[in-house]
Amino acid sequence: MNYKKEDYKNGITFHKINTNKFKTNLFAIFLTTKLDRENVTKNALLTAVLRRGTKKLTSQEEISKALENMYGASFDCGVEKTGDNHVMKFYLESINNEFLPSEENLSKECLEILLDIVFTPYLEDGKFKQEYVDGEKENLKQIIQGKIDNKAKYAYDRCVEEMYKNEPYGLYKYGYIEDLEKIDAQNLYEYYLEMIKNVKIDIFVSGNLDDKIINELKESKIIEDLKERNANFNINKENEIKPQVEEPKTITESMQINQVKLIIGLDVLDNRKESKYATSVYNVILGGSANSKMFQNVREKASLAYTAGSNYLRQKDNVFVKCGIDIPNFDKALEIIKEQLKQMEDGDFTEEDIENAKTIIDASVGSITESQDSEITYYFSQELSDEVVSIEEYIKKINEVTKEQIVEIAKKIQINTIYFLKD
Amino acid sequence: MKIVESTNIKEKAYFEKLENGLNIIIIPKANTKKKYIMWGTNFGSIDNRFIMPQTNEEVFIPDGVAHFLEHKMFEQKNGRNSLDVLMALGLDANAYTTNDHTAYLFECSSDKFYEGLDELMDYVQNPYFTDENVEKEKGIIGQEIKMYDDDPGFQLYLNTMDCLYHKNAVKLDIAGTIESISEINPDVLYKCYNTFYHPSNMTMVVCGDFKPEDLLEEIKKRLIPKENQGEIKRIYEIEEDSINMSKKEVNMEVSTPIFMIGIKDKVPSSEEAVKRHIAIEIILNMLIGKSSDLYKDLYNSGDLLAEPDMDYEFTKQYAHVLIGGQSKNPELIYEKVKKEIENFKKDGLNEEDFNRLKRKIYGDYVVEYNNVSYIARMFLADNFKGINSFDYIEKFNNVTKEFAEQILNEVFKEDKMALSIVRPK
Repeated sequence: MNYKKEDYKNGITFHKINTNKFKTNLFAIFLTTKLDRENVTKNALLTAVLRRGTKKLTSQEEISKALENMYGASFDCGVEKTGDNHVMKFYLESINNEFLPSEENLSKECLEILLDIVFTPYLEDGKFKQEYVDGEKENLKQIIQGKIDNKAKYAYDRCVEEMYKNEPYGLYKYGYIEDLEKIDAQNLYEYYLEMIKNVKIDIFVSGNLDDKIINELKESKIIEDLKERNANFNINKENEIKPQVEEPKTITESMQINQVKLIIGLDVLDNRKESKYATSVYNVILGGSANSKMFQNVREKASLAYTAGSNYLRQKDNVFVKCGIDIPNFDKALEIIKEQLKQMEDGDFTEEDIENAKTIIDASVGSITESQDSEITYYFSQELSDEVVSIEEYIKKINEVTKEQIVEIAKKIQINTIYFLKD
Repeated sequence: MKIVESTNIKEKAYFEKLENGLNIIIIPKANTKKKYIMWGTNFGSIDNRFIMPQTNEEVFIPDGVAHFLEHKMFEQKNGRNSLDVLMALGLDANAYTTNDHTAYLFECSSDKFYEGLDELMDYVQNPYFTDENVEKEKGIIGQEIKMYDDDPGFQLYLNTMDCLYHKNAVKLDIAGTIESISEINPDVLYKCYNTFYHPSNMTMVVCGDFKPEDLLEEIKKRLIPKENQGEIKRIYEIEEDSINMSKKEVNMEVSTPIFMIGIKDKVPSSEEAVKRHIAIEIILNMLIGKSSDLYKDLYNSGDLLAEPDMDYEFTKQYAHVLIGGQSKNPELIYEKVKKEIENFKKDGLNEEDFNRLKRKIYGDYVVEYNNVSYIARMFLADNFKGINSFDYIEKFNNVTKEFAEQILNEVFKEDKMALSIVRPK
């Protein structure tokens, strides 16, 4: 096993991934909280404010200069929704010492900068620097307003929002402009102090690294000072079975575009862990590849759409069908899509379709280890769902899925929301 | 096979030119499960007039043929679609068309590589165009063109090209227009196929855990013998040095304006291209990269939200510098960039900044070698420009501050600059 995990203190976990596939090392710190309306905007803003300066490197410019000098080490941060959790993610990637033109030790230095960014922010008068908070508020406002720029993404986000109205998962990960206005340097810093005491902390190191990197981590004063905690987050274990929807919700919105975006949110009325493998296969047969029903029958045969596919949101038991359609054709497209769902229920697909779908999933799961970021994400999602399934086991379970199981899942799939974005 | 090694990053590339003219580049990568193969032809959207070597006939083709041909290559005589066949094997298959080349590719994470190679080499060597299948494709590509018409980033880029170039076909949509593709028929497609899909105009790049000699044999086995072909004479419009216009603005559905500054450059020779590229990247980072004074100013005033995208794009037919981003105030950014360039020219480049950013650029190049797909794409695109990708790592130390200053004066000229803006409605 190239993956090792160590619970350092209650609520604080180290993860080490050994890999020699890359020229780089990747370090990551994830802070996980429950997704809720009260904190979602604060988390998004906080992540942005933290990258502005540390006690030692007091401005973004100084941080950038330090990273550039380390052969362009790259820092990145952001917020993600993972099930009903909101995760603040901080990454630092640097070239492995082996590939530098001269002898230097970058990894320790890198880890220090990353810890500094998250745990020792730059302060003025006992709070975040006013200018940084104001600047980032303005930026975040533009990001929230920028939601409309990518039409396909916007349509998807809106469909999720409608499906999960008044529930955590319906929240926009960057938060809300009206909540942003209430945040200032003082109350954001107070929130930070409280949050950092209770948040679930996961620290990942990935690369061709010695085990002593973990010891270096433990010797860090910052890490030593962190107290154990009862981390307040949602385990993405099993959702409650979703209620039967009597009539699917249809939402139509207008924006000036040449192409209708159609998103159909489907509920999977089954919450068993084992069913998730069958749902994965279902999704690929429906819309997860160029051989899928969506691609073949909506795009190729009917020439109705340029894009047609589906994706499976595992943590929430949803499948989303997505299309870009020529405006006059959208009724016809909806009809053909419904027909594809019916065919899935009727078992109107072949053993070859199933084999093809499994091969596609095997290839995609098998290549998780080919990217440091996706390998970290894989182990982190297991951390949040409190299960350990190795990549090999995962592939084995996919390959055990039978046609009967897929049809059984298909019969438990219902349309929750139909979302149109049109001219 | 000719072996080229990069000692800094500990990688090797094997080069072979077959008798029929096909270039093969193999970059072996131990420890990785993924394999990536690309088969490219030096035929892109700007090649719209040429003389067929077989018949000496001069051919004018409608805009968008290279891209149309790419779509149609997957269709087989037996009714199968090769993209589906490859996907069914669990291979991540795709194709794309740029201004100067078209590439067919797949990525493999399983043991199905050679089955994929069978299919790839079969469909690229066996075109099948009929009136019916060409007509049907017009609907699909029409949708794709419309999708890009809605894409503010794409329009911004095309408008920048329209500013910089008078006639060069880089200013046209790679996919053509609904009107231009309506003129495409099987005859045009076969003429282009027979000319440009000859091995002597193609390069294959493979990256993954391979023994190069064995892989080379596998490739040779699958090649259909073809008679050698003379050089394809391509005819391009003569492009003036000056720019076409200095500004273009449109309104679209965006929340904040987006902008792109373009600087037209002369086409660099293959020998000087790499050094020029490295120098320009260092200058761009010094000018408006994350640690620059200008970026700090613009970030603090809220005029820039993030580091702009900076790029130097070039082929054998054009070259330009691009700086693009999102801002409430694009004109202000444009003015400040121009002013900072003048300051740099006047004061010379700061030594400490230069050295630091040179280190950064080195790191950026090394990171490219993390991924078999980046490696293959880089070697293919560079090969069509006459460049060996390792040169970016190996020639790195030859880029001095003095050289960068020379490039600064040569390239960053106000009369070669233009601004494209997409504003909210």
